[in-house]
Amino acid sequence: MLLTYSQPLELTNVSKALDTFLKTYMADFWAYLIEFVIVGVAIIATYAIIALALIYIERKITAFFQARLGPNRLGKYGWIQSLADMVKILIKEIIHINNVDKFLFYTAPFFVIVASFLAFGAIPFGQGLQAVDFNIGVFYVTAVSSLGIIGILLAGWSSNNKYSMIGAMRSGAQFVSYELSGAFALMTIVVMSGTMQFSEMVEGQRYVWNIFNGHISSIIAFVIYMICGHAETNRGPFDLPEAESELTAGYHTEYSGLQFGFFYLAEYLNMFIIAAIATTVFLGGWMPVQIKGLDGFNQIMWYIPSWAWFVGKTGVLIFMSLWVRWSFPRLRIDHLLNLEWKYLLPINLVNILVMVIIVLAGLSLSDLFPKLFGI
Amino acid sequence: MAEQIIFYILAIVIVVFSILAVSSKLVIRSATYLLFVLIATAGLYLLLNFHYLFAVQIAVYAGGIMVLFIMAIFLTHKPGATMNQRMSWKVKSSAALAVSGLLISGYIIIKNVVKVAGYLKGDELSMQDLGHSMMGTQKYQYLLPFEVISVLLLACIVGAILIARKETGNDPKENVKDK
Amino acid sequence: MSSFLKYISGIYTALKSLLIGLTVTWKELWTKKVTMQYPENRETLVISDRWRAELIMPHDDNNEHACTACGICMMNCPNGTINVISKMVETEEGKQKKALDKHIWDYGMCTYCNLCVITCPSDAIIFSNDFEGAVYNREKLVHQLNKEGSKLREKKKEPVAATPKPQPTAPKEPVTQKDEAPKASNDATDKAENKTDL
Repeated sequence: MLLTYSQPLELTNVSKALDTFLKTYMADFWAYLIEFVIVGVAIIATYAIIALALIYIERKITAFFQARLGPNRLGKYGWIQSLADMVKILIKEIIHINNVDKFLFYTAPFFVIVASFLAFGAIPFGQGLQAVDFNIGVFYVTAVSSLGIIGILLAGWSSNNKYSMIGAMRSGAQFVSYELSGAFALMTIVVMSGTMQFSEMVEGQRYVWNIFNGHISSIIAFVIYMICGHAETNRGPFDLPEAESELTAGYHTEYSGLQFGFFYLAEYLNMFIIAAIATTVFLGGWMPVQIKGLDGFNQIMWYIPSWAWFVGKTGVLIFMSLWVRWSFPRLRIDHLLNLEWKYLLPINLVNILVMVIIVLAGLSLSDLFPKLFGI
Repeated sequence: MAEQIIFYILAIVIVVFSILAVSSKLVIRSATYLLFVLIATAGLYLLLNFHYLFAVQIAVYAGGIMVLFIMAIFLTHKPGATMNQRMSWKVKSSAALAVSGLLISGYIIIKNVVKVAGYLKGDELSMQDLGHSMMGTQKYQYLLPFEVISVLLLACIVGAILIARKETGNDPKENVKDK
Repeated sequence: MSSFLKYISGIYTALKSLLIGLTVTWKELWTKKVTMQYPENRETLVISDRWRAELIMPHDDNNEHACTACGICMMNCPNGTINVISKMVETEEGKQKKALDKHIWDYGMCTYCNLCVITCPSDAIIFSNDFEGAVYNREKLVHQLNKEGSKLREKKKEPVAATPKPQPTAPKEPVTQKDEAPKASNDATDKAENKTDL
């Protein structure tokens, strides 16, 4: 009840009210069953809505970077545009192609989208607004998001098309290499926060975000994670698996209609997932800005609901990703692999060592200034 | 109830796709079926609340080794070509080996299932315990095996680099030129 | 050791140049957008003078144009867009003279190459930038450029204007032009004869 008055806009209030309502009217088993279904539907709906919003935002910001206006015909400022695109993609014909490996061709898009769904489910969107809160949250997300690449490889191979095949091979090489650095960067923060659980990680960043807490080491890890996130999602300057000038559309050349829509959706959502994990691990997740000692200020900050904080921080990171995307030219494949294996990985290994020293010697901000930042 | 239903679904998936994996004529399809088996196994771990093992299974087997398998199959000659399956003595002997392996390990598992069941009912292991048992030197802590395995991996990496490295000054093409 | 320093300085310069790139695009983000929202900004729309949209023949207040019906534009048009129909009129002195009857231009076939305007010896036709030329019917695309009842602007008599090689400086010095123009045509015919000989 206290939560309702001190944080009136929190979505947890709604979910708690629903839970008590269901449990008063039916047995626990059925109540849980209904709740599971509601949670599943809610996640799928959020997934679709976020994808649509991201497509609109990406098109707008891209246009602004290129001194254009972007979509502006459908509705005010063109906000219905991506909705219309969704309807178009849903009613488009799925073209059946001869001489493809039918089973793999039709399975591949599901791999990509299921992997991104699995990772999406573990993201903490707000206080208590998390479908699954694994003990091993960070590890879980890196593990399941690595499944997506199999879908891309199978799509490229089963399309029976040289462009698709080359695109898939490039994507595979790129993903496998950059996944390593991305996981190491997250591991650096795990060393500092001492937990892999997202909820505990967010709690631990109440007074100081992880990116500041470990100063040098954290900032390096953050930059490396963002670079690797870009590379893993085939975006930004690392979009050479689908380099349209040389490979038409890369691994999804042969797909049409909803199957292409799956790849498209997964690509945008992976961008969101990368930004969301970076928010949770480095920027304090849904935790509002808190200053130790200033209770009044803290209370005011809590009036802004936690999901709004999360969306805001994630939005800033997504904007950064777009900014990078429209600033730098595409890398060549050997430069790309050089960057990973000769720069990011060695820096990362040294960085973990530095972080271990920082933690053991008590040099993190919360250890140095416990009155300001300690929990 | 629900757990049993999920278990049977996973078990059927594992059995069916295992058989498909060895009986499929396309190499790449066998790899995909094997991937389904590995994912279903990960599902079993999840059912047992072994979250860490689940993530390891997905990350290492499904996400790591399967990707390498698929990449390796891509690099082979005509990866889509069908294999000719004759019931040669090789097939028969390997089938016999597989069945005997199944019998032996099945016997061991059934004999020891009571002992193992004790561990299964425990709560989920915390990551700290896991880390300590991997990096500790006391009883039931496994620093030495852990380090030995990492040395093995290091040897593999060094070997791979040695094979992949360009030999400068010893280029066979240059020798041809000299002659 | 020096290679290690090179590695470190490489990282430093790379980061620096990346930041420079980011600042450039950051500034670009806030620049004025160049998109024209066409139907809405019809009142304020500015079309470049060089834009070639519709071929027109300027007429002055007396409903007179400069076209002598020489047909050069018709000959130079690469895909037969222009059709110049001439008629013979009798002048005050009783001479027979060629004059423009209809200058017909097919909007639908024009590639806007500007050759007709460049080659016109009397600058009778120009491209306007009035680009809203869409019509519902293909027949409406065929324009007659000279207005009804218009006639040639009286200037000076140039019977030799219909030579295939007009001189750009011709209007300034009509005397020399008279001398040179037939010569040029002779040269052309000579060349043509040489070619047939070869």
